[in-house]
Amino acid sequence: MNSLYDKVKKNLIWKSVFRRDYRDTARNRAMAIFGNVFLHLHPVRVRESAVKLRYTWGMGGITFLAFIILTITGVVLMFYYHPTVDLAYLDMKDLEFQAPYGVISRNLHRWAAHFMVIVVMIHMFRVFMTGSYKAPRQFNWGIGVILLVLTFLLSFTGYLLPWDQLGFWAITVGTNMGAATPLIGYQGPFSEFLHITPYNDIRFALLGGAQVGGNALLRSYIWHCIAIPLISVILMFVHFWRVRKDGGISRPQH
Amino acid sequence: MNPFIEIITQPDNIAIVIMIVMVTFFTIWGFQQAFQNDKLKASGYAVDGELDQDVDTFKPLVRIELIISLVVVLFLSIWSIAVDAPLEEIANPTITPNPAKAPWYFLGLQELLVYFDPWLAGVVLPTLIVVGLMAIPYIDINPKGNGYYTFAERKYAVIIFAFGFFILWLLLIVIGVFDRGPGWLWYWPWEEWDHQRVVFEPTRDLTQVIGIESRSIPGFIIGAIVVIGYYVAGMLLPLRHWRKNNPELLAQLGMIRYNLIMFLFVTMMSVPIKMVLRLVFLVKYVWITPWFNV
Amino acid sequence: MASENQNTTRLRAQIFAGLSIALLLLSAWVIWDDEFGLRPWKHYQKEYKALKHEKLDKEYQDALRDFKRSGGARRLEMLEKQLAKSEEAFKQKGVHEQYVKLNAQIDDLHAKMALSQKELQMVRGQYLETEYYFTKTQKPEYKKKMDELQRQIDAIDRSNKALIARDEPLMQQISKLTGGMDEIRAEIEAMKKALEERKEKMANNDKAPIEIKQYMIKDTDKADRCVSCHAGIESSAQVSKKQPYTKHPLGFVYLGKHDPGKFGCTFCHRGQGRATTTIEKAHGNVKHFAEPMLKGDMTQTSCLNCHGDIKNLRGAEKIAGNTELVKKYGCYSCHKIPGYEGMGDVGPELTNVGTKVNYSWAVKWLMDPKKYFSTARMPKFFFTQDQAEAIADYLFSMSGTTRHDVDYAANTPNEKLVEKGRSLWSQARCNLCHMTNGKGGNHIKVYAPDLSKVGSKANKTWLFNWIKDPNKYFPGTKMPRFRFTDEEITALVEYVVSEYQDDDAENSYTTQATIPAASIKKGKDLIQQYGCYGCHKIQGMEMVQVAPSLKSQGVTFLRNDEMREKIGTELSSIGSKPVDLLDFGKLKKAIPNDRLSYIKQKLRDPRGFRLGLRMPNFGLSEKEVNELAAVLYGFTDSNVPNRFLVPSRQELDRMAGVPGYKFTGDFAKVIADVKCTNCHSIKGIGADYAPDLSIVGSKLQEGWIRGFLANPDVIRPLMQQMPKLGLSGGVKPAKITMPRFNLGKQKVEDTNRSDVDVVMNYFQQELVTPDIPKDIPTVGDVAMSEQIAQGRKLYDQKGCVSCHQIGTDGGALGPNLTNVGNRLKPGFIFKHLENSRKFKPDIVEPNYGFTERERIFLTNYLMTLKLTAK
Repeated sequence: MNSLYDKVKKNLIWKSVFRRDYRDTARNRAMAIFGNVFLHLHPVRVRESAVKLRYTWGMGGITFLAFIILTITGVVLMFYYHPTVDLAYLDMKDLEFQAPYGVISRNLHRWAAHFMVIVVMIHMFRVFMTGSYKAPRQFNWGIGVILLVLTFLLSFTGYLLPWDQLGFWAITVGTNMGAATPLIGYQGPFSEFLHITPYNDIRFALLGGAQVGGNALLRSYIWHCIAIPLISVILMFVHFWRVRKDGGISRPQH
Repeated sequence: MNPFIEIITQPDNIAIVIMIVMVTFFTIWGFQQAFQNDKLKASGYAVDGELDQDVDTFKPLVRIELIISLVVVLFLSIWSIAVDAPLEEIANPTITPNPAKAPWYFLGLQELLVYFDPWLAGVVLPTLIVVGLMAIPYIDINPKGNGYYTFAERKYAVIIFAFGFFILWLLLIVIGVFDRGPGWLWYWPWEEWDHQRVVFEPTRDLTQVIGIESRSIPGFIIGAIVVIGYYVAGMLLPLRHWRKNNPELLAQLGMIRYNLIMFLFVTMMSVPIKMVLRLVFLVKYVWITPWFNV
Repeated sequence: MASENQNTTRLRAQIFAGLSIALLLLSAWVIWDDEFGLRPWKHYQKEYKALKHEKLDKEYQDALRDFKRSGGARRLEMLEKQLAKSEEAFKQKGVHEQYVKLNAQIDDLHAKMALSQKELQMVRGQYLETEYYFTKTQKPEYKKKMDELQRQIDAIDRSNKALIARDEPLMQQISKLTGGMDEIRAEIEAMKKALEERKEKMANNDKAPIEIKQYMIKDTDKADRCVSCHAGIESSAQVSKKQPYTKHPLGFVYLGKHDPGKFGCTFCHRGQGRATTTIEKAHGNVKHFAEPMLKGDMTQTSCLNCHGDIKNLRGAEKIAGNTELVKKYGCYSCHKIPGYEGMGDVGPELTNVGTKVNYSWAVKWLMDPKKYFSTARMPKFFFTQDQAEAIADYLFSMSGTTRHDVDYAANTPNEKLVEKGRSLWSQARCNLCHMTNGKGGNHIKVYAPDLSKVGSKANKTWLFNWIKDPNKYFPGTKMPRFRFTDEEITALVEYVVSEYQDDDAENSYTTQATIPAASIKKGKDLIQQYGCYGCHKIQGMEMVQVAPSLKSQGVTFLRNDEMREKIGTELSSIGSKPVDLLDFGKLKKAIPNDRLSYIKQKLRDPRGFRLGLRMPNFGLSEKEVNELAAVLYGFTDSNVPNRFLVPSRQELDRMAGVPGYKFTGDFAKVIADVKCTNCHSIKGIGADYAPDLSIVGSKLQEGWIRGFLANPDVIRPLMQQMPKLGLSGGVKPAKITMPRFNLGKQKVEDTNRSDVDVVMNYFQQELVTPDIPKDIPTVGDVAMSEQIAQGRKLYDQKGCVSCHQIGTDGGALGPNLTNVGNRLKPGFIFKHLENSRKFKPDIVEPNYGFTERERIFLTNYLMTLKLTAK
């Protein structure tokens, strides 16, 4: 038994992968954090309040987890999806009836998306309730608000992709509000001064047309799968980095 | 099936039910801790977390993170197995569903459409919400309550935020999801939707209440006076009040901050005021101009 | 506090472990569900394979048993022994060398034969060439050369024959040498093959992969995966009667004509072809899927998607019968339905109805037609007494100023006239179309009104004028103009009025009363509101409903019926209308919210959905509701690819620019008058109630036709006279014969020609076919009397007598031949005996394969069968 243990653990490959053993020493605890690219987002030691569930509710972390789940399931779904009017809906049907793990992937993606919106709102509520936006974390709160908006937009752009009645009309209703933007929406106040029509207003820019159609589907797809996730990831890193640089999880001052 | 069960078991609406449960739970938990801390402070003790020491990140924090991750993944998996994501008929521009609802998190804004024109409800107000939220750290100069739950030390901030968050955001979403049926008419969740139902509500403009045509020049002037007067009064009255009772606070805030706070606050309060005007007094517009209506 | 409390640590570790195990189990379940739970077709395919294996195995065992029982096994054993013996003999010394030598000789011989064949061809070619020049130039040297070549040909031919003669013995020698090895081998092979094939079939079945099977249909978004579960649907033999393993009913028609690989399943059956996870989803019985699967006869509704003409379409019999209801009730009068344009009015013109009927009757009728006659086609509009009176007032105001009734009940009829009328009534066979007191009216497709109570409805003057010239009152009516004299009409009217009285008639206006003006206005509004002009022509009402699009172009008056906007909803795509666009109104909870339920409910109770609906109630039986709903369900703006469409004959003709057949000249006038096409079909026009007359001129002798028209008689006791379609179920008609139209008594309008002459002329000139010769070939070497005797012998030999009657002998299935020599033209008989199906595809007469001589004899015999005029 011991020789087997030695054979497995005392060789070049094992050692190249695992830099430390499993003994619970102060050094190993520290090594676990800064030796791991994922964990080293954390400081080696944190204030106890950061560990208490009753304080943070874990909401920020859960939001990030939801984002990761959405990324993974989203990539799976992208394999089966064509963002065209002819195929999008049929791809949904095939996802349900033919693709391996298609049903569970799509369900997870949809429900994780709703869940992320809920969780991100509760996260904001928690941060407000603990006054965590106060100095020195004012800027990070601002980033958070933008991330909240991006979360809404991620969900919103994803709504159209199945190309069913639900998504189609939700997007129609949503973008019709855009048409009422003052100055740059054709139904908005003062738009006549800029000669704004349904064909050159903000809604046209959003949809790539005067109606929800093939272009809107493609735009939704690209915003949903590439542009907004990219922006979100960048801002998330700023957000996380600032959490640490602004002194970790907020706590009462002496 | 019972309409109530039917509406709350619609796949997408299950998310709303989950939201209600979660928000309720965390609200209670948050306020409970706030009141506890207030009690501790009042008795001269340290608040929760004030005496905390540093601990190793590995493993206490990492383990909690993993446990939560497992819980969340399990929860989402069970949700995904139990409920299938909805897929309706293929998109058809010629068939408009009634009601056509936006995604649920925007239903608060869609609900505002009943009370405001789209340019306000769909564009100006959301923009102000985002700007207002981002401005909070810079206009809330109260140094207390940083890093712990408290109510007593920041009463006004919490009340105003809670009002905006629970009433103007979440409640309107819940109304939009559960209480709005065909024609965006009000239906209690246990009521059957009736596509034939027509409700004729004679609405009028504010100046018509006192007998002046709202589309006339006097109507325009009166409307302008009411709207501008509302903002001026809303911003001047607290100023007078604080000058008398709390000049230090005013000095601390400074003119710019004060004006920003009051502008945002007055705008926020215009939403419930307009709702009351519309629902109780059947007033559609306050001020009609050739370019926009308020 | 450097590390956690030990207890907390342990607890958290336990939670972590517990959650991990839970997630593991959940993952396992997800994998199982994806592999089996969501793939029920795997189970079905496996079970089908097992069932098929069982069946094939049984067949194999049976075949094996038969093989053994029938001595096949013994013979096989014997053959194998023989083969072994022959093989042994073949191995003996010298035999093989001899075999090789013989084979070499045969090869050599065959090579020579081939060479000689080639040479022969070449010389023949030269010969033909020379012959060509000779016929062109007539030069003697070519002739000479031709003779020379012919000699060569003969020589080669001779040597060829010699070669062939040598071949035979060589082959026999070889066969002797091998002891018939090759033949024995072939027989053994054949015996084994039958069993091997069965085994192979079984192996193929066992090898077949379990997989999603689907039909992807080109140029459409269809992917029909139905066959993934319905594994046996395409097979010709039933593997199991259990679903989903059955074969397709009437598969050789439905699948044979529509290759599933090209047509898929859902074009006809609807349903969700892509779905594979549950039966409900696949059959489309789920929310957010509007096209539930069609089963059984209902599927025939899909024939309408592609087939322009379903009248004689195999497999579409049900739906073809159902479409008759659309015509019966005239749905197209109020609704736009493609394919039913220009059908004419369903009801009679009402402009002068005030001169025709009693006011009291009109009111009673308007209120509830079905109450007056249960067979009435006119629907119930639920008019109140006031409303019915208002409508009657408006209609009466167009031809007069009073409400008036005429009551004949009190009059004593002229008995002599009545008797004469009665005999005319039966001669004219009025009961063929008109029902009286529950009798007659067999020819239902002309929808003639029930006359049981006509004496209390219409007045004598009108009846007289109507019978005298129906077209004058109602252009487009199906009522023929009988060539009665005025005296005859008077007698007929007297008979009808005295015989067919309504005992319940209440004639309140025997003294005339002036129509109130307000009522007229109200009546007009009601007529406009309910669209009476949809079925009835009412003067001044044609321009009421001008389509809004045309109104904006300044059009205020329309004469063309087709331009008139119909009062009802367009039905051209009712069968694919989105359910969201159907207004279930207050029945939203009471009936299932699907299209078919809506259509059926609408037919049952048109105004039940909500207040303010206008469609009248047709009082349809539940059977009619189902049948009509099936037709309506087939009116779709379907996404069928153009290549599937099968246009009707008329459409094809129109597309090809071929004008449809039109009657010409004076004959057209006769047709419009006598309405021959009510019963007869002529060149594709008309009904199939009576024999087709398209080639009558080639078939029947003129003298016989004239006699028949003057006095129609039974030709065929059972067949033909009994209409194939349109009989109310189970009623066996009495002898139905053609009415006597009294042709020949009058001249055709505006001409000097007798109508019979016009008809005869048209028959002989127009309704003939070049396929039937005027005369039959002659046989010179046999005397005529001998031919007739031969024919008679044939008639007896072939058993014609079992179906045909001559005199009083013989069966009654075929036409009576007693007078055939006077009736049919010999050319027709001659051709008919050659191929009886050529002119009547559905005939039961067998084809005997007579030689031409036999046919000539038979024809000559039959032509002697003549009844001499008495």
